[in-house]
Amino acid sequence: MSAPREDDIDALLRRSLDAIPDAGFSDRLMQRLPPRRRASAWPLAIGLALGALTCCISLFATALWRTGWYDWLHGKLSACAVVMLLAMMGMSLLALGWTLAEAEDH
Amino acid sequence: MADSAAGARIDSALIARVLAGNDSRAFEQLVRRHQGMVRAQLRRLLHGDEAAADDLAQETFLLAWRKLDQFRGEARFSTWIYRIAYACFLQAYRRKSWNPREAGESEIEQLPAPGDSMDLRLDLARAMQRLSQAEQTVLLHCVQLGLSHEETAYVLDMPLGTVKSHATRGKQKLKTWLTAWQEVDGKRQTL
Repeated sequence: MSAPREDDIDALLRRSLDAIPDAGFSDRLMQRLPPRRRASAWPLAIGLALGALTCCISLFATALWRTGWYDWLHGKLSACAVVMLLAMMGMSLLALGWTLAEAEDH
Repeated sequence: MADSAAGARIDSALIARVLAGNDSRAFEQLVRRHQGMVRAQLRRLLHGDEAAADDLAQETFLLAWRKLDQFRGEARFSTWIYRIAYACFLQAYRRKSWNPREAGESEIEQLPAPGDSMDLRLDLARAMQRLSQAEQTVLLHCVQLGLSHEETAYVLDMPLGTVKSHATRGKQKLKTWLTAWQEVDGKRQTL
C-alpha cells in the first residue's frame, strides 16, 4: 500500500479548482461601475487651519504664553518659558511622528 | 514564479492607470484578469451557490473600485482582492446565517470506501467536504488558489500558525482518506 504523497494531494486539489469563464460577468460589472470620487484635500486643509487658529487664539489669550515668550526672549528660563518650550517641543514631536508614519505608508 | 511576477507588474501598471486618470478601461482589464479565480473562490466558499457567488463577486469588485487608492502594494493585487472577497463572504454569511456543515474527526470512519466506479475527483470533492470548515477554507486558499501560508493568513485574517496547522491537518486527513482509493487503483492496475 502506498499513501499518496503531499505533492499528489496538492496537484489533485489544484486541478479540482478551475477559473470560472467570464460569460459576460465583466461587462455586467462595468455597467454598474459608479464614477470614482477623487479624495479631496480641502476638508483636511480647512480642519488644520481651524485647529491652528483655535490653538493660537487660546494660547495668545493666556498670560502664561505672553510671559513665557517674554522671559525666553530676555534669556530668563522661568517656569512659564519652560512650559511654553515643552509644549512647542511636544507639538513638534507629534508632527514629526505623524510625518514619519505617513511617509512609511507611502 | 516568473509568471506571477509578470502578472503582478501588469496589475501594478493597471492600478496606476486607474488611480492616475480614473481609467475604467484599466479597471475592466483588472476585473477580466481576476474574476475567474475570485468567482471560483466564492463558489467554493458558498458550496456551489453560483448566483450568490456572482453577486458577492460583483460586490467585491465594486468595493475594490471604490477603495483602490487604499491598495498599498504590500500584497499582490490578487491577494488583496481575495481578502475583500472573503470579507464580503463573511458579511453575507453573518447576514444570511448560512450554516455549512462542520465535519468532525469521528466522521472519517463514516466516509464510504471508494469503489472501482468512483472517480478520483469525485472522491476528492467528497473528502474535502468531510474536512472542517476551517481546514477547507485554508486548503482552498493556500493550495487551490496557490497562495503562500503568509498570504492565506492575510486573506483570512488568521494567525500564521493556525493556517499552517489547518493546512497540515487537512492534507493529512485527505491523504488518509485517499489512501484507500490508491489501494483500489493499485489493485486494478495489477489485474
